[in-house]
Amino acid sequence: MHHVVLERWSRGNSLIHRRDPRAKIVTLLVFLVVLATAQHNLVTLSLALFALLLAAVIAARLPLAGALGRAGIVLPFTAVFAAICWLAGDPVRGIALLLKSYLSALAVLVAVSTTPLPVLIRGLETMGVPRFLLMVAQFLYRYLFVISEEAQHMSKAAASRGATARSLVGGRSRFRAAAGALAVLFARSYGRAEDVHRAMLARGFAGHFRTLGALDFRRSDACFAALASLAPVLLRVAVERAG
Amino acid sequence: MHIPDGFLATPVWATLDAAAVPAIGFMVRRAQREFDEARIPLLGVMGAFVFAAQMINFPVGIGTTGHLVGGALLAFTLGPAAASVVMAAIITIQALVFQDGGILALGPNVINMAILGVLAGYLPFYLWGGGRWRKLSIFAGGTLSVLVSAVLALAELMISGVKMPASVLGVSLALFLVSGLLEGAITLAVIQALESIQPGFIRRPAVGRSFALGAVSMGAVLLAAVGVLFASAAPDGIQKLGRQTGIASRARTLISTPLSGYEVTFFHSSWLSKAGAGMAGLALIYVACLFIGRAVTRHRSV
Repeated sequence: MHHVVLERWSRGNSLIHRRDPRAKIVTLLVFLVVLATAQHNLVTLSLALFALLLAAVIAARLPLAGALGRAGIVLPFTAVFAAICWLAGDPVRGIALLLKSYLSALAVLVAVSTTPLPVLIRGLETMGVPRFLLMVAQFLYRYLFVISEEAQHMSKAAASRGATARSLVGGRSRFRAAAGALAVLFARSYGRAEDVHRAMLARGFAGHFRTLGALDFRRSDACFAALASLAPVLLRVAVERAG
Repeated sequence: MHIPDGFLATPVWATLDAAAVPAIGFMVRRAQREFDEARIPLLGVMGAFVFAAQMINFPVGIGTTGHLVGGALLAFTLGPAAASVVMAAIITIQALVFQDGGILALGPNVINMAILGVLAGYLPFYLWGGGRWRKLSIFAGGTLSVLVSAVLALAELMISGVKMPASVLGVSLALFLVSGLLEGAITLAVIQALESIQPGFIRRPAVGRSFALGAVSMGAVLLAAVGVLFASAAPDGIQKLGRQTGIASRARTLISTPLSGYEVTFFHSSWLSKAGAGMAGLALIYVACLFIGRAVTRHRSV
């Protein structure tokens, strides 16, 4: 599955991988805000910020083509709106949409692919995001692949019984069959969740994860956060002065 | 419809992010009241189910397929507060891991889909889910959940100044309506199948609410959503009218400022006023939905 790639990238080792998740979250937010509020000389600014992200991708030893391509997932959706804007007589905004959404996606990708998700979530928790929500998100991520695999098995089984063939069976009953499959998946997921819950209770789960080793925000993290979040700000100031 | 970063104007995403924080905090507290922390695995696995449900395709007419979005189904099975939290977790994971939806746009996306979408989807079921209108209310819930969140997303884009010609707007509204009806049909079919294989998953709301009251409040939800859309479309319409009658060009010569400066100031003022009007509308709806949510959860917890 394609998302395992991100998992593998995040287990790497580099200058950026080693930073505290909070330093990366702060830097990411500064970058996104600088980009989102920019209005003048957007193309020049985008090139400068792209160079910055490129440097980060290289410093994190991520595969260059892979990272740039993966961030391109946003482009089809954005391209539709950019085309609409262009046709409506506002090509500048169309280009701005493309540049901003691509660079934002790339920035998020760099942050997420240099931080394992559990560590990232722990960072978010210490920054004040509700723990309940984050734990739901973490369980969701953990069982995503399990349940997805089950869904794939079910749809493959249905296909091998002829569900996708244009048989004599009408659309209505095929719709019913799909609903039945989904209902079975729902009941199985629910059952599995209760099993997981009981197993965790049996192992002493009291409602929160115990983690080995606390996060510590060292001086190098502070330096990284300061320098890396200053960079886009300075770039923007420089570009707007020049413009 | 996940809004990526870079689409929304700064006041729009900033306001909605600020609004999403207390809203999701409220939902988390409500959900915690019912699902203590030890039962979190259940919510997480049901979130994973919603993800996986997208892999099972439903035949829709000629050669095309659709899939479940899931907000309404979760609301009927887990309750609206827990469904909101699960949907918010889904949106967060989608933004972080799948590059689907932005980080700064997380607040808007959460408000559209996880909070207002789920509440709008739960409303008809809450009102008539116990009586003879049950099937219809499940169907309407699925439809409303998708329709309301899509229309809100569209309105936020328009408030942010993404140009949308009337024809495109019409086509996208029609598409939203179709996908909403599809969601309604899928939700209803799944719930019926679920009840036949294992009854007891679906919550049973109280019986005997007046039809008229329900219709009025549902109409209000729909009207509010569509109202935001047209409120955000109106400035554009006025501009077009001005262009046609030539008022705008006359005004432009009257002002006769240097071109660069003119553009900037004009852009700023119209942008701010549009955003202000839109935000006021959204804030009103937000408050209304918070109250609806409070009423819903209070009633159910008794």
